Amino acid sequence: MNTTEAAFIAMAVAASAAVAAAIVLPARSRVVWVGVFTALSATAGGVASLAVLVGGDSFVTVIPDVFPLGGVRLEFDALSALFTFGTALVAVPAAVYGIGYSGQGPSSRPAQAAWPVLVWSVMMVPAAGNAIGLIALWELMALSSTVLVLAEHHHNAEARRAGQWYVAMTHLSLLAIALALFILVHQTGGESFAAMRAGAANVGPVAASTVFLLALVGFGVKAGVVPLHVWLPRAHPEAPSHVSALMSGAMVKLGVYGLLRVGWDLLDGGPLWWGAVVLTVGLISAMFGILHALVASDLKRLLAYSTTENVGLIFVGVGAAGMFAASDNRPLAAVALAAALLHVLNHGAFKGLLFLGAGSVLTATGTRNLDHMGGLGRRMPVTAATFAIGGMALAALPPLNGFVSEWLLLQSLVHSLPSEAASVAVAMPVAVAVVALTGGLAAAAFVKAFGSAFLAMPRSAEAEAAHESPFTMRTGMIALAGVCIALALLPTLLANPLERAIAPATGIADGAPISTNGVYVHLAGIQAGLSPLMLTLGLLIGVVAVFAVVRRSRARSTVRDIPPWGCGRTLQTSRMEYTATSFAEPLQRVFDDVLHPEIDVVVDHHTESRHYVESIRYHSETRDGIENRLYEPLLAVARRWGDRARSVQNGSIHRYLTYSLVVTVVVLLVSQ
Amino acid sequence: MKHTTFVQLLDLAVGAVLVTSFAALWLRRLATVTRVIAIQGFALAGVAAVIGVYEHETELIAVSVMVAVLRGLVLPGLINRTMRDGDERREVESLINIPASLLAAAVLTLVAYTATRSVVALDDSAQVRAMPLGVAVGLIGILLVVSRRKAVLQIIGVLMLDNGIALVMFLGTSGVPLAIELGVASDVLLAMFILQVLTSRIRTKFGGTDLDQLRELRD
Amino acid sequence: MNPTGIAVALLQAVFVIACAPLLVGWTRLVRARLEGRVGAPIRQPWRDLRKWFVKERMVSEHTGWVFALAPLVLTGSAVLVAALVPSLSTSSALDQVGDLFAVVYLLLLGTVALSLAGLDAGTAFGGMGASREMTITAIAEPTVLVAIFALSVSAGSSNLGVIVADTLSRPSAAASPTNLLALAALAVVTVAETGRIPVDNPSTHLELTMIHEAMTLEFSGPDLAMIELAAHVRLVVFLTLLANLFVPWGIATTAQPLHLLVAAGAVLVKLTVLATIVATVEVFLAKVRLFRVPELLAASFVLAFLAVTASFFLA
Repeated sequence: MNTTEAAFIAMAVAASAAVAAAIVLPARSRVVWVGVFTALSATAGGVASLAVLVGGDSFVTVIPDVFPLGGVRLEFDALSALFTFGTALVAVPAAVYGIGYSGQGPSSRPAQAAWPVLVWSVMMVPAAGNAIGLIALWELMALSSTVLVLAEHHHNAEARRAGQWYVAMTHLSLLAIALALFILVHQTGGESFAAMRAGAANVGPVAASTVFLLALVGFGVKAGVVPLHVWLPRAHPEAPSHVSALMSGAMVKLGVYGLLRVGWDLLDGGPLWWGAVVLTVGLISAMFGILHALVASDLKRLLAYSTTENVGLIFVGVGAAGMFAASDNRPLAAVALAAALLHVLNHGAFKGLLFLGAGSVLTATGTRNLDHMGGLGRRMPVTAATFAIGGMALAALPPLNGFVSEWLLLQSLVHSLPSEAASVAVAMPVAVAVVALTGGLAAAAFVKAFGSAFLAMPRSAEAEAAHESPFTMRTGMIALAGVCIALALLPTLLANPLERAIAPATGIADGAPISTNGVYVHLAGIQAGLSPLMLTLGLLIGVVAVFAVVRRSRARSTVRDIPPWGCGRTLQTSRMEYTATSFAEPLQRVFDDVLHPEIDVVVDHHTESRHYVESIRYHSETRDGIENRLYEPLLAVARRWGDRARSVQNGSIHRYLTYSLVVTVVVLLVSQ
Repeated sequence: MKHTTFVQLLDLAVGAVLVTSFAALWLRRLATVTRVIAIQGFALAGVAAVIGVYEHETELIAVSVMVAVLRGLVLPGLINRTMRDGDERREVESLINIPASLLAAAVLTLVAYTATRSVVALDDSAQVRAMPLGVAVGLIGILLVVSRRKAVLQIIGVLMLDNGIALVMFLGTSGVPLAIELGVASDVLLAMFILQVLTSRIRTKFGGTDLDQLRELRD
Repeated sequence: MNPTGIAVALLQAVFVIACAPLLVGWTRLVRARLEGRVGAPIRQPWRDLRKWFVKERMVSEHTGWVFALAPLVLTGSAVLVAALVPSLSTSSALDQVGDLFAVVYLLLLGTVALSLAGLDAGTAFGGMGASREMTITAIAEPTVLVAIFALSVSAGSSNLGVIVADTLSRPSAAASPTNLLALAALAVVTVAETGRIPVDNPSTHLELTMIHEAMTLEFSGPDLAMIELAAHVRLVVFLTLLANLFVPWGIATTAQPLHLLVAAGAVLVKLTVLATIVATVEVFLAKVRLFRVPELLAASFVLAFLAVTASFFLA
């Protein structure tokens, strides 16, 4: 038995132990043991993936007759291992964090039992090796996450609606994926992935494209790309924060995994337009996501929309890779895919960290509204520091990990010209422009979120009374911040694993995209070089040098605490600070035509004179544009049809008996 | 003239034509837009002159002088007269805001490049490779006509469309006989005269040439 | 990472930091003379820095560690960028460490640090400056990256040394449409990012018209000295990029002292010319309204976009 097999067994055992602990133990110890066993299960998953990624192991096994239709086959290659590794990176700190977080909130039996099941199923989905296995694990993941999203629905009508949207969309995705796999099974004559790969040549181009589009829809819902993203900004904020961290950090990536697996492994790649469609979807998601994140005043909603943006960027990398592979530029395709996969890992780490920080803020202040926070940097220093690290990675600032994957993505896009394919020549400048704009807007969103929540003065009594989170929550956040820093300084360690992970996607690439000597990163076939380690070192040297020069002068002069400059006004209260909404207002105005904010200003004048104002109320709301224009009309149509169809079942016994008569007559006639 | 110098000057002149069309979309004052169209006329004349000097065709140089006079001086002068006669506000009013018009123009440039790909593939000379820019200028002229509210700007858009067509002609055929250019020029001049008279009359009668307001006149 | 390479990098950093206040002084002198005033001597910014260094450090009572850390991060990143940008030679050790994308994102890091400090002050002015600055930076990003795209298509790489070497080896390409359009686009971005007219007035005293100054209202003493020095260095870094990426003649390709001396003289001449142009533009143009700035940046984006299409289609 090799390491991978042992680790898989350990994963399952630990998860079962966690479920058992959730059901059996009383409330206080329940939370602790569930957290510990879940963390162990996730660690086992990490070990299994590392064994495959670094050690070159592989793992194939068949568990027969689990379901009436067939058995479950598990196939764990390097591509699967990368995604499971990403999950493990987020899940271990989230599980530790969950001990402290659940102690103050969702500690009910169902929620605690569903958590290890969710972690286990998210790690196992990439290991599915046949259609039934994939569908079964997908559904298990959907069910456990639904339970967790609804964990706090007793307190909250919003959580109920979020659960409804989530259940509906996730089963839409299941339907699409099942259809796609069904067609594939039918066309290739085999049910396991290996049989599908072998029979890929038998699949005609029309069938292949249908499978691809269905897979795009199904996996796109899970990934949260526009226009299938509407569940994300509702469900991720309502779930408990460690669950949100796992959902945003790991679960949405399974959409990317599925698309890669079906499109470029099982179907062995396709025409150029596949990549072009994925690229377009990615670009639209990135722009839409970051614009809505900018105007969101709910911290977790901001982070959820930012997940849509980053998944959009990953889709840009995958789409570009598909386009390059189809236009015979396979080395560049490998670089683009490596950028996308690296961003999968990086985004998981920093988005997970940001959600954990948001949860910490939520438990301390009781609110998610950025306009009511402030001054938390002094009251919650650990949360503030780790949130700053996650946020800087979100804004793709050096020296953190977001910058490395963004750099890699830009390098792959920039070296695409000159190209013979007209669509590549047209798409790449647009792609670079959109990626650049989303990067700039992401920096603005980070400044808004961090600035409103943690800086200056508290804007409400709850924010003033906040205090730091308990030990387990702090440990989880610090651990994930450490992961971010490690990914930032040593991405060179990932060069070989990335090469192994790209190999199964035979439709795109073969060969080593990144070559490195440990310190410098060079790209295959392109003249490009970066050294994240040296860059960080240079930055530190610069800062320390400046500090050394200034320190003597700073130490010599005393520091006098004074009130800030108020243009002659001496009283400074928190009412005079910029809120998150006012910070984003210029950008909201610039992008007015896309966002369509609803702004109401109600001015009450004094009873005696119109020249004196008694009160002014300003209400601004930006609703999700796609939900407004696409889903609401569709739901309205569905409701109308439903109303009309109600007349079919109006309670009259005569009518029902007539139906039976009609059907009997029809059957008699037809069966003649 | 050496070939490399020819290519550089040609690229510069054609680039100037394209940049002036973007500038016409970007500027807010009517008077400046007219000046920019005049510069575009001179740049167009420059293209003809460069090709004429390189290919040693005096006819083309004569054409370039005529283009400079017509499209650089006479027609913009006519447009100025149209503007001066009325006392409308001197600002550009448009249906889509300025950054959006600029982005639309960039997209139209891409469209022009992709649409003329097969033509460009026929011949690898510098003139033919710059032809898509002429198509782009024409498309941007149409964009001006479609998206701007005042009649004066639409006249300028028609003029830009004509400049774009003329640019494609100069680059594609490497020289236009003087007779054809004279014919085209007289047509354009006649059209401009008619438009100018019409605009002045509309303005006197109705007090303005804002098309959205003019639409209210129907029954 | 050989010693000469590191020495060249350090020399470049020291050179840029030493010249930056002098160049800003020159800009102010040109502006003053054009406006009919006598103006302060060129070394006045250095004297200002020295003055602030010994002044008392007053800190608003509501700020925290971000406010104290921000000037260090801003100046530290400016110093690193000063070392990265090829002002004197292309044989610096940092050539393989960071390319043009790294430079852009390091400058973004400095902007973010300053915006956070502005928010930390807790005043309406700080928030206003931070909000406006992030708006302008976000909208200028596409222009910058697409212009880098255009440059790297011609040169085959986004590495600074490679771009400079490519232009040196093909002199006729310096006047190609791609380079001219990219130069125009980056010139507009320089004005926007360094806060000069027509985007922001660096010498205004009216708080409601400030962008960069509003974020730095609360700084005093050595912190203010750091922030001002960082602003000067960032301006010179942008001008050096404009000078040496598009008109690189004079730059050294080795680390020999004589070549470095010649390169220093050449880049000083180019920087002086550019600084004069910046000052002249400041005198003859008016500052535009904040909500007209996106139009200006959209125009520069279109120029950069055309540069990319020209690099591919006209090359």
